[in-house]
Amino acid sequence: MLHAQAAGAALGRVVAQPLATISAVLVIAIAIALPVLAAVVLKSVSTVAAGLDTDPHVNVYLALDASDEDAKKLAPLLRAHPDAASVRFVARAEALQELKSTTHLAELLASLERNPLPHAYTVRLRTTDAARLDALKADWQKLPKVDQVVADFEWSERLGRWVRFGDRALAAVGIFLALAVVFIVGHLIRLQVLTRREEIQVSQLVGATAADVRRPFLYHGILQGLLAGLAAVGLAALVSAWLQYELRALTSTYAAEFKVVFLDFGSALTIALGAALLGWVGAWVSVGRELRRFAARP
Amino acid sequence: MIQFSAVTQRYPGREALRDVSCEIGTGERVAVTGHSGAGKTTLLKLAAGIERASAGSVVVHGQNLAALGETALAVLRRRIGFVFQDHKLLFDRNAHENVALPLQVSGFTRAEMQRRVRASLDKVGLLGREKAMPVALSGGEQQRLCIARAIVNRPAILIADEPTGNLDAESARAIVELFSSFNQVGVTVLISSHDEASLERLGGRRITLAQGALVA
Ligand SMILES: Nc1ncnc2c1ncn2[C@@H]1O[C@H](COP(=O)(O)OP(=O)(O)OP(=O)(O)O)[C@@H](O)[C@H]1O
Ligand SMILES: [Mg+2]
Repeated sequence: MLHAQAAGAALGRVVAQPLATISAVLVIAIAIALPVLAAVVLKSVSTVAAGLDTDPHVNVYLALDASDEDAKKLAPLLRAHPDAASVRFVARAEALQELKSTTHLAELLASLERNPLPHAYTVRLRTTDAARLDALKADWQKLPKVDQVVADFEWSERLGRWVRFGDRALAAVGIFLALAVVFIVGHLIRLQVLTRREEIQVSQLVGATAADVRRPFLYHGILQGLLAGLAAVGLAALVSAWLQYELRALTSTYAAEFKVVFLDFGSALTIALGAALLGWVGAWVSVGRELRRFAARP
Repeated sequence: MIQFSAVTQRYPGREALRDVSCEIGTGERVAVTGHSGAGKTTLLKLAAGIERASAGSVVVHGQNLAALGETALAVLRRRIGFVFQDHKLLFDRNAHENVALPLQVSGFTRAEMQRRVRASLDKVGLLGREKAMPVALSGGEQQRLCIARAIVNRPAILIADEPTGNLDAESARAIVELFSSFNQVGVTVLISSHDEASLERLGGRRITLAQGALVA
């Protein structure tokens, strides 16, 4: 009964001051939406990064005029290198087929008179050491009919490292913004407490306990947090949808497929409930402090 | 019912009550008198559990208030009606809402609150003024509104701090009669006053304070 009354009172306050409520909720929502958006971007990038090959390897591209014979002669030379773990031959026809099946370039490729791709070898390595990698690339570059030696696992590995760093930075920023939400809710509730100071004092005189006084403010804080959490998820969804739209226009011209991975329902719910919890904490801290100040001044 | 044993109350730089011992029995009607600053309000606040004594013990309803925690003390206050010297009405709430406050605190249902507030306003002669804001009430009516709020929880103890102060003789008489009628149905009544006419009319026992000490 007491809880129903307190919740009803809190709802009444939220509804009675729609402008104050909306502005308060929006401020908190933006504070929450920022890390949520950052998380969405990070998740999207990390999905791409996870699809990339980060095992150490180099691709050895042969000259376009290299014959099957030339290619075959190369295999034992590559295999003989102490840093080579395994050697796989990718025939030019095979490479073309793969390109056709994994990208949107099929039509363009079909219109070509001849295969533009060279024979290639993919060599898995036993080392990621930069100096040895450079030495190996220089060695192989000198082999007959070799056009280019490319180690592109390096940037995908770098991307992976950035994603891991981003995760940690986001956690730190998230903690700061959670604290900010506690402060904002606390401040708003403090104003409420001050405007209701007389009512609180008279209530205490006629028998209200500290818990009785606190209860409606706690519900108010929870409600504000919950509304802000839901607004934040909505805001983040809108911005991600817009990002997705812009990216589609951008990426359709390239082979790569980049998708914005939005939050699943569980995460959205967690954010809304987490925000409600932060609202509760903010209200608790602020009402507790104000009550102690009232008590100190009889 | 209410028992003071060697009670002293100190405020910063001031001793408002000094070594006061007295007892108020169940169903008694007691008037506290004394000059301004004698310690009347202080005594009543201690009896109602609104303040805690600096020394000595105050026992109410068989409970030593010093031994009660803040929550238990608040709950005890619900069983004592108190009419404040400065009214303590909420001016942004109407008569009904002011009287309902103690019930709201105690967690009554809306229907029960409605019933009790009406009964309470009826007893003080304010039925029909539920929607009136306190500023729209006369001094005597505001005083009666305070009394309605004090009795809405049907307390066994009713304490009133200068309930006839600032009232004309006619209104003061009506208020005193109201307290007499409560006392006649068994409520313990403790009133402070320095208005001799009202004290005469109330009758009952007197406790007289002078500079914080009990003199009679
Ligand atoms: N909160 C307080 N802080 C400091 N001094 C106080 C406080 N409350 C009361 N006093 C002092 O204690 C003394 C007794 O005050 P109290 O209010 O009990 O007097 P009273 O008999 O009710 O007077 P009155 O008839 O004017 O209402 C006064 O001198 C007053 O100034
Ligand atoms: Mg007084």
